[in-house]
Amino acid sequence: MFETTVEVIIICIKVGVAGMVLFSLPIPLTWVERKVAGHIQVRLGPFRVGPHGILQPVADMVKMLLKEDVIPTKADKWLFMLAPIMTMVPAFAVFVAIPVGDKFTLPFIGKDITLYMSDMNVAVVYILAVSGLSIYGIIFGGWASNSKYAVMGGLRSAAQMISYEVAMSFAAVGVVMLSNSLSLVEIVKSQSGGLFHWNFLYLPVGPVWFMIFFIAGLAEVNRIPFDLPEDEGSLAAGYHVEYSGMRFAFFMLAEYIAMVTISVLAVIFFLGGWDDPTGVIPLPPILWFVGKVAAFIYLFMWIRFTLPRYRYDQLMTIGWKILIPVSLVCVLVTGLMRI
Amino acid sequence: MRDSRIETVKVKSLESGVRWILKRTFFVDFIKGLMVTLGYNLSKGVTLRYPDEEKWIPYRRFRGVHTLNRDLDGRELCVACELCVKACPTRCITVVPMEDSTGKGISDRVAGVWKVDLVRCLFCGYCEDACPTTAVRLGRGYERACFDLSSAVLDKEKLLLPEEVPPDLDGGVIVAASFERTGAGMKVNADFTKLKGDWLKMQG
Amino acid sequence: MEKVFFLIFAAVAVGSALAVVTLKNPVHSALALIACLLQVASVFVLLRSPFLAVVQVFIYVGAVMVLFLFVVMVLDIRQARMEAFPQKERWFVYAIVPVITVELLTVILGKGFPRLGPGSTEATTVEVLGKALFTEYLFPFEVVSVLLLAAMVGAIIMVKKRWD
Repeated sequence: MFETTVEVIIICIKVGVAGMVLFSLPIPLTWVERKVAGHIQVRLGPFRVGPHGILQPVADMVKMLLKEDVIPTKADKWLFMLAPIMTMVPAFAVFVAIPVGDKFTLPFIGKDITLYMSDMNVAVVYILAVSGLSIYGIIFGGWASNSKYAVMGGLRSAAQMISYEVAMSFAAVGVVMLSNSLSLVEIVKSQSGGLFHWNFLYLPVGPVWFMIFFIAGLAEVNRIPFDLPEDEGSLAAGYHVEYSGMRFAFFMLAEYIAMVTISVLAVIFFLGGWDDPTGVIPLPPILWFVGKVAAFIYLFMWIRFTLPRYRYDQLMTIGWKILIPVSLVCVLVTGLMRI
Repeated sequence: MRDSRIETVKVKSLESGVRWILKRTFFVDFIKGLMVTLGYNLSKGVTLRYPDEEKWIPYRRFRGVHTLNRDLDGRELCVACELCVKACPTRCITVVPMEDSTGKGISDRVAGVWKVDLVRCLFCGYCEDACPTTAVRLGRGYERACFDLSSAVLDKEKLLLPEEVPPDLDGGVIVAASFERTGAGMKVNADFTKLKGDWLKMQG
Repeated sequence: MEKVFFLIFAAVAVGSALAVVTLKNPVHSALALIACLLQVASVFVLLRSPFLAVVQVFIYVGAVMVLFLFVVMVLDIRQARMEAFPQKERWFVYAIVPVITVELLTVILGKGFPRLGPGSTEATTVEVLGKALFTEYLFPFEVVSVLLLAAMVGAIIMVKKRWD
């Protein structure tokens, strides 16, 4: 009985910590994104609130909280209010299955604490399934706004998600074939032992799987160059054009968390998770993990301010005519290599 | 039926075809683009942090707020001939001559009133050209934002004061500055001794 | 404990399934269907087959329902709303419902399902499932694949415009 109570308490603490981290993560990320944008465009980015504008997200948050929450008269009121939450819940729920490290021993007590909430034996499928659910917020939000731009955004998002979910799942299949497991902890363990054991460098298919996953991931989280659902140029702001105040902030929050999720997954699937690439640098594994994820997030922002947006037919061409055939060939090659 | 949206490539030779495929397989153009933006990301920004930290000092040829000048003995150069009033296309200058034998001016005719309405002034510099005694000159002041329009009319007392920018300082440089906001108004305090660099060079 | 959860999930599933057919707005119906499918997935978790649960969410909720919504959203929902729900000309539908109910009840109460013991946890791991699918049930598996392929080809042919 006592053991169970302790376990329950530990789980509660983990959920609390993860929730807090995830809720507060977009705050620094918006600042970093704007700074990266500024510097790439030879500007300074936010500079006036706090040193180097570091308090800008706080100011933005206060602004969002104080803004009027507008609900269009002809909107489907309940669905409109529900949609931001529907995007946010799956974004958070994914992190139940995501490990950030193996385990560490608490000082003084000597109890092992695992750095994941649950090591599911179907974690890969779970993550793909649940992260795909956040699309409903976008679709319902777009539809409930009763605005043509928003509906167009929702429709585009649905079509895009259907197309790229296939390629993304194939990439996950590739990883599962390389690592022989559906559990994320096992996938990371199978890559331990330095740079050349990483799935990314499992030549010749590793880099191909990585690129498929990365491109599909970009499309899944609606980042530039695949941000057609919120295409400012032709759809005003797409699915969230009618949203304001905190509900809009929820959409942004979900988008940033989705970006973090894809970065974390890319690190776990291909870059060895918390594995030290050299094997000699005595850094704690969690730092390696956070460092790799941060590098990925920077890459996402870097790409955002480098590439223009694809046209809709180009998006579909990339998904159906390039990524899926390539991944089918890759499944075959990987299968032959793993026999 | 040909799908015209799909890019068709005319392969001229085997070599160029292979190169075309390799270029796409290894994301060559994509990486080139990323390198360009990375270069910009690491380069220094060109933003001038005016008015918080820096301020640009105009060249001597700049046509800013008017100044009334004195000769080397400290006498007012203006003889209130009113040529500037005649030359002014927007009629923003008001001059009322006055007789004065105390030696305040270079002749016994001085300006009793010399006002310029900066809201109407278009800084064309005709008054400068018309002035026979080089009394009126367009200076280097340009910070004229104000809360009420009455402070946009400058009279003789203010115009006769020496300019804020030291006359021996060449223009086109950036100096340290700070921004001050008080109940009376806003002010940019520039420190003309701290040069931060040449404007043209900073533009690359 | 498990029974309580099962009752909750089952109640919500039945409730949302009823909502699917009674709600007037097709988008609301779709939302109810999503809720229903999620509840079924939770029932799978209670049955100790997490893989099936996750696949249920992945395929039905994640993919099929998105396509449903895609179609529903381009419909003119005002017209759909106009139609009264208990459509009188489809009385035979209501006649079928009690028949099916009676049939199901006889099956459930009469014979019952083979009981799986609590020790069947291993029987549902992905490995066992995959092996069973590709050895014991290979023939049905392939038949289903051919069926799906035929459906796909049929759909493409139906959508395809005539050759010029």
